[in-house]
Amino acid sequence: MPAGLLESLRAALPHVTGFIYPNELELQWSVLIVLYPYLTGLVAGAFILASLERVFNVAAVKPTYRLSLLTALAFLLIAPLPLQAHLGHPERSLEIFMTPNTSSAMAMFGFVYTWYLMAVLLMEIWLDYRREIVEWSRTEAFWPKRLFYKVLTFGVTNISPRSLEIDDKLGKAITVIGLPSAVLLHGYVGFIFGSLKANPWWSTPLMPVIFLFSAMASGIAGVLLIYMFLCRLRRVPIDMPCLDTVAKYLLTAIIVAFSLEMLETIQTAYEAKDHFDIITLLVEGKLFISMFIVQIAMGSLVPMLVLGLNQLFLFPERVRRACYAVSAGLSLIGILAMRWNVVMGGQLFSKSLRGFTTYKLELAGREGLLAAAVLTVLPLFVLAALLYLLPPWAHGGSARAAKSPSA
Amino acid sequence: MKDIEHLLRVAAVFVLVISAFFAARHFLVPETFGKYGHYRAAAATEMASMPLHYAGEPACLRCHPEQAKAKAGAGHRGVHCESCHGALLAHAQNPKAVKAVKPKEADMRAFCGICHARNISRPAKFPQQDLAQHNPGVACSQCHNPHNPKP
Repeated sequence: MPAGLLESLRAALPHVTGFIYPNELELQWSVLIVLYPYLTGLVAGAFILASLERVFNVAAVKPTYRLSLLTALAFLLIAPLPLQAHLGHPERSLEIFMTPNTSSAMAMFGFVYTWYLMAVLLMEIWLDYRREIVEWSRTEAFWPKRLFYKVLTFGVTNISPRSLEIDDKLGKAITVIGLPSAVLLHGYVGFIFGSLKANPWWSTPLMPVIFLFSAMASGIAGVLLIYMFLCRLRRVPIDMPCLDTVAKYLLTAIIVAFSLEMLETIQTAYEAKDHFDIITLLVEGKLFISMFIVQIAMGSLVPMLVLGLNQLFLFPERVRRACYAVSAGLSLIGILAMRWNVVMGGQLFSKSLRGFTTYKLELAGREGLLAAAVLTVLPLFVLAALLYLLPPWAHGGSARAAKSPSA
Repeated sequence: MKDIEHLLRVAAVFVLVISAFFAARHFLVPETFGKYGHYRAAAATEMASMPLHYAGEPACLRCHPEQAKAKAGAGHRGVHCESCHGALLAHAQNPKAVKAVKPKEADMRAFCGICHARNISRPAKFPQQDLAQHNPGVACSQCHNPHNPKP
């Protein structure tokens, strides 16, 4: 037996309980695979918030429209990196594009991702910003930035009312197409887990729906916090009707996500199939803190209670802002915990249903805590760059706001 | 037309990107990929043309009838010669120049232990020994004929 393997066995075996199969000692899907659905969830959630204003005409959330799109783009650009970092041969991931296997959900998802990035997000952002891009290409003093805008105009500086009207109509059509695309983008992640029939912790048709609604909650919470932070940073007053409306949608998303999660849990408990004993041991043992304390109590019940009270009583603005920020922050932590519980929980117990392995999160290394932390904050740096290049606060957060009579 | 010129240019960019994708596929996808299934058909030919190392048991039995007789019906009848003696194609092709490898007596306990050291995951009826207790220091071949290992 190789010395290295013997050493790792000596370290790991004391943490194994009961009977496990030899290939279950090491968890294959690390913290990076926890991070991946979290990041794509933020993308889908932020985009769905943007579409509220665009498709469903929720005028109150207009100030967050562009910010939502840019947030979605920033997170979407970084979302594949956890997967790439997890792969032993990241350069081979190109093969799924070059020789796509139509019967593989993962392979097909590469095209869903590309479609969503290029045909939905980039197009919608470009159409919404086109008028400013043309203006900035003429007025921007800093030449590299001016060059960037010039490239983005594609050599067309026509911003006649008719052309902007066409842009608006096309943008709306893209948002309508983008909604199911966003659903597909994040529903797919749940689909991958839900399709693993050998794993009773994952194998449920509810999984894509659960992932989708928790994604909505995380995306809305993320945009809400970013919006509040940017208002403070820019020393401009927060648009309270907007914040109240976003918080209302956040509450709705959390309620639906939590209800679905609990429905699935109760269904599992009521069915009490042959794997129920091991699942019970899992949630009462290794997942107790991350599931009951962080995901359910801290990440769902507290935000629901706080946001619910805000629906029942009209608190002063300062209190409301604090409530929304705390609820959004807690739900973001809770949804990260939910991703952890799904990804790790499904790998901690043995297929023999008679034992548990363990997962020790490393600090350094390609799949360690530091790498995960960097990948978590990296989208925020990308967002900062996007905000510098495409400031969303012109015209109250949406180009169409300038044209609408209410603006 | 003037009002949709910017859209036509973006459409052209999309067409360019998609064309670049198909052009890249033309150069990057191996010629024989997909001929029989979702793999490169030429890979099978390449693997078949790789140098051989193993002769296979029938080649051994042609020249070693005594060992063949000892093995037939014994506990090691299912163990191929090359499992213990290493790859023997070169030896089969040129028996005088290339000699077959025999496990050394000094290494024998560890070598036989690969299969016969006590291990909880092995079937209960499979011959297993606690090497620390079972005649420590004595080479297995002192008591067991490797071709017919029953003592």
